[in-house]
Amino acid sequence: MQQGIKSRPIYSRLRVDPAGSRHLAVSDQCPFPRAAFETPLDDLEFWVVSSKSVEGNAVFPEATGLLAALEARLLRETAGLRLYAVGTESFIWDAANTARRVGMAEDEVFLAQAGSLHRRIYCTHCKTMIENVNTNLTPCLGCGATLFVRDHFSRRLAAFMGIQADAEEPGILPPLQTLYP
Amino acid sequence: MQAEVASLENLSADLRLIRFKPLDKPQFPAASAGAHVVLALRAEQGTWRNPYSLTSRPGARHEYSIIVRRAGASRGGSAYIHDRLKKGQVVSLGGPNNLFWPATTARKHLMLAGGIGVTPFLSYLAAFAETGSAYELHLRCRGAEEAAFANLLFPWRHAHVHPTGRSSGFDAPKILSRQKLGTHLYLCGPDSFMAQMASAARSLGWPSSRIHQEFFGAPASGQPFRAVLARAGLTLHIGADQSLLDALEQAGIDAPCLCRGGACGQCKLPVLQGEPDHRDHFLTPQERARGDAIMTCVSRARSGELVLDI
Repeated sequence: MQQGIKSRPIYSRLRVDPAGSRHLAVSDQCPFPRAAFETPLDDLEFWVVSSKSVEGNAVFPEATGLLAALEARLLRETAGLRLYAVGTESFIWDAANTARRVGMAEDEVFLAQAGSLHRRIYCTHCKTMIENVNTNLTPCLGCGATLFVRDHFSRRLAAFMGIQADAEEPGILPPLQTLYP
Repeated sequence: MQAEVASLENLSADLRLIRFKPLDKPQFPAASAGAHVVLALRAEQGTWRNPYSLTSRPGARHEYSIIVRRAGASRGGSAYIHDRLKKGQVVSLGGPNNLFWPATTARKHLMLAGGIGVTPFLSYLAAFAETGSAYELHLRCRGAEEAAFANLLFPWRHAHVHPTGRSSGFDAPKILSRQKLGTHLYLCGPDSFMAQMASAARSLGWPSSRIHQEFFGAPASGQPFRAVLARAGLTLHIGADQSLLDALEQAGIDAPCLCRGGACGQCKLPVLQGEPDHRDHFLTPQERARGDAIMTCVSRARSGELVLDI
């Protein structure tokens, strides 16, 4: 369903920024989605999320651990570093927000979507986050409302907005569809 | 607005601090860190309008202060301020405007100044003291002015003065390469100084969004030329030491302007004929090549005549 949202981020293929002097690429996937780049990936440092160890990469069992290590790393870094985040939309914006917290500018951080289209949903009624939603409707784990998954994406929250689906006519819901594989 | 010269203080042979108090209003407008005013001085040769960074504390409303350096090749404004401006004299001030504000999201502010280019940073330092922001300032200056600048910067712990011609520890690449991510760089000084510093920063990987430059300085002189004002039906003769904007203003033309340093883009006028000599920092290389617009505050003519759509 087209929801007419014009503010959704649009991603294009990444280029290694020649103005940068050091390059760090992070992903919540493994192996690293190299196809997200259209330039050669020499001299990049790769961080990925995986339960197994992978050669040539820093491997984190969970995305949250990677993001915590990323923040600690960025706080020590000096000017010249470029950050590339590739992966699910919620992960890449979590990484972008980490970078923003340490003062990185928009021309130092580059994002591309790869892998699953599952959505993180923010309940606009009780502020609960619901991870890995692939349908147009989802129950809120906080307040129990049945949420309609909007295309409205918040970069700050790294999540799509969920609003009560039967607010007008309680109990009347659109058919359940799997939309975000 | 009208202001009265409240005091004049010579900081060195070529640096003069001028304090103003408001005259036609009870208070000056509050200015933010990095703001400038345009000081208009009337003398028999004409009127000079020069932008000066406010060195008073941001938000100060009972007093504005500026520091003026006697320019070697002056259009006359700075010489007038040094030789003839008197306490109690009434002057007119335009602004304040700000085209060089500190980034609020910066984790730290690194300021590199060349000589009198330190002036906008005096208001930055006061603002950073209030917010407790991290900062570091390095000033490169002539040996003769070291003492005056050191006095001005005395209250600020992380401000350093480096006189030229002596090994003084001013190593721009070293200073730039040790800065943490999230540091913003501000440059103010002679064009060559800013170009050198900006290029050192870029080669270390600083992104352009974290490099800020203040383009000030009097418009450089050049060949005299004629400006034909198509709509006003006037022809102006622009002297070697006069800017096109000054000439327009003296002819009573209501020409747009703001920074008077070729940076802000406000004074852009369409060129109908003739070849401009672009000296601004605003037009893109493509716009320059088209030659159909000119920034009147600093740019001149390559051809003997320019026809302007005003």
